[in-house]
Amino acid sequence: MAVPVFDFGRLLHFWSKRWPDIVGLVVEHLGVVALSLLIATVIGVGIGMLVWSRPVSRSAVIAAAGVALTIPSLAMLALLIPAFGLGWTPSVIALVMYSMLPIIRNTVVGLREVSPAVMESAKGMGLSPLGVLLRIQLPIAWPIIVTGIRVAAQLTIGIAAIAAYVAGPGLGSYIFQGLSSLGSVNALNFALTGTFGVIALALIVDAVFVTLTRITTARGLRA
Amino acid sequence: MTVTSTAQIAVAGRPVRRRDHFLTWKRFTTPLFVVLVLAVLLLWLSSLQLDSIEKRTLNPGYIVNRIREHLGLTIVASALVAVLAIPAGILVSRTRSRLVRGMVLAIANIGQAAPAVGVIILLAIVWQIGYATALVGLVAYSFLPVLRNTLVGLQQVDVNVRESARGMGMTPSQVLLQVELPLAVPVILAGLRTSLVFCVGVATIATFINAGGLGDMIVNGLKLQRYPVLITGAVLVACIALLIDWVANVAEDFLTPRGI
Repeated sequence: MAVPVFDFGRLLHFWSKRWPDIVGLVVEHLGVVALSLLIATVIGVGIGMLVWSRPVSRSAVIAAAGVALTIPSLAMLALLIPAFGLGWTPSVIALVMYSMLPIIRNTVVGLREVSPAVMESAKGMGLSPLGVLLRIQLPIAWPIIVTGIRVAAQLTIGIAAIAAYVAGPGLGSYIFQGLSSLGSVNALNFALTGTFGVIALALIVDAVFVTLTRITTARGLRA
Repeated sequence: MTVTSTAQIAVAGRPVRRRDHFLTWKRFTTPLFVVLVLAVLLLWLSSLQLDSIEKRTLNPGYIVNRIREHLGLTIVASALVAVLAIPAGILVSRTRSRLVRGMVLAIANIGQAAPAVGVIILLAIVWQIGYATALVGLVAYSFLPVLRNTLVGLQQVDVNVRESARGMGMTPSQVLLQVELPLAVPVILAGLRTSLVFCVGVATIATFINAGGLGDMIVNGLKLQRYPVLITGAVLVACIALLIDWVANVAEDFLTPRGI
């Protein structure tokens, strides 16, 4: 097998020829990550709000989410295939499960960190416990929760690349195409485009989250 | 306690347990859980009528070999990472230049964003397929988190503590060995634990480049539409990951200096 030589001109040619294809994969990749994060945020913040004040269920939930994060991604996807088949469904479910630990843990930490004095005065002003949770604690905890979502985003962007093996969407399919065309001229271009595409996406999404944190934080809490 | 990265997930939120709390029921939930899962798997498999293709992989000899390959890859890679990345982290932390430290942290962060499959497959394309490539890929991939945690662990040592050690007449190397490193041990170990669990996962992917391991069973089961093979492989990998994480957690508690 000849060692492929990296040729930047050829890579540019590769990109210009497959540009619409690459853009499609990037959109798919972002789509699957965004969908998973949305579902994971709703579930994770919901669970966090339910358990934050109950020590036993709190540690049980965090331990369970930790187990999910420990399971290797290929194994997790494999376990989902008999039940959910190939494609988007197992990919999204796996990504949601991996996002649980950072989101639930940061929600719990954020809600618990609200100073008791603030909660006490909210109660004194006549807010119900649910009102305190939704109108006082959640806004104060929000920057920490967004940080959890940001960590989950970084995780899932990388893991989504493996989901291509079970016919999931996104840039991973270029990485695997590089492997299956091993030895051919474009193998390196496929794998490089897939890998560096994922890295670039991760960095851009991270930057977006910095802005998002600033915009969605309550005005009084902004530094 | 804002959690900002996966490496720190392992650090934050886990209170340091004292040795007298060593034998609690919580300590043994993970192994019990794993034993339970394996028992269910065994029961399920024995209730199935296996065909000839399934029998070829679902026998003790084949499975033990795959587990050996998997653990071999994981442990050798983690040992190499420990030997290479911790000294590198100490070296980087000794430089006075903020620029160098900042750059190393930035590279480490970018490296964490790289997908493991991409790194392994790129290596296979430009070099060769097989065990050596998988090993290099694993080491390269877990090198940065450990380096990063070593650096962060050394940097978070209180300046006053360092100053007073100097004031007591310790030489810089004594300060490093007797004060800074022991104080950084929890963070460094958390990094190593993350990298171990990482390695179990990435070793699964090694099957794509012919480096063996339990990933073989997952891929074969998928290709041949033999779900018992696929599920056995996946469950075994998951159990290994959980057990290794548990062992690393126990080791962490043992190795953390008593004062912390």
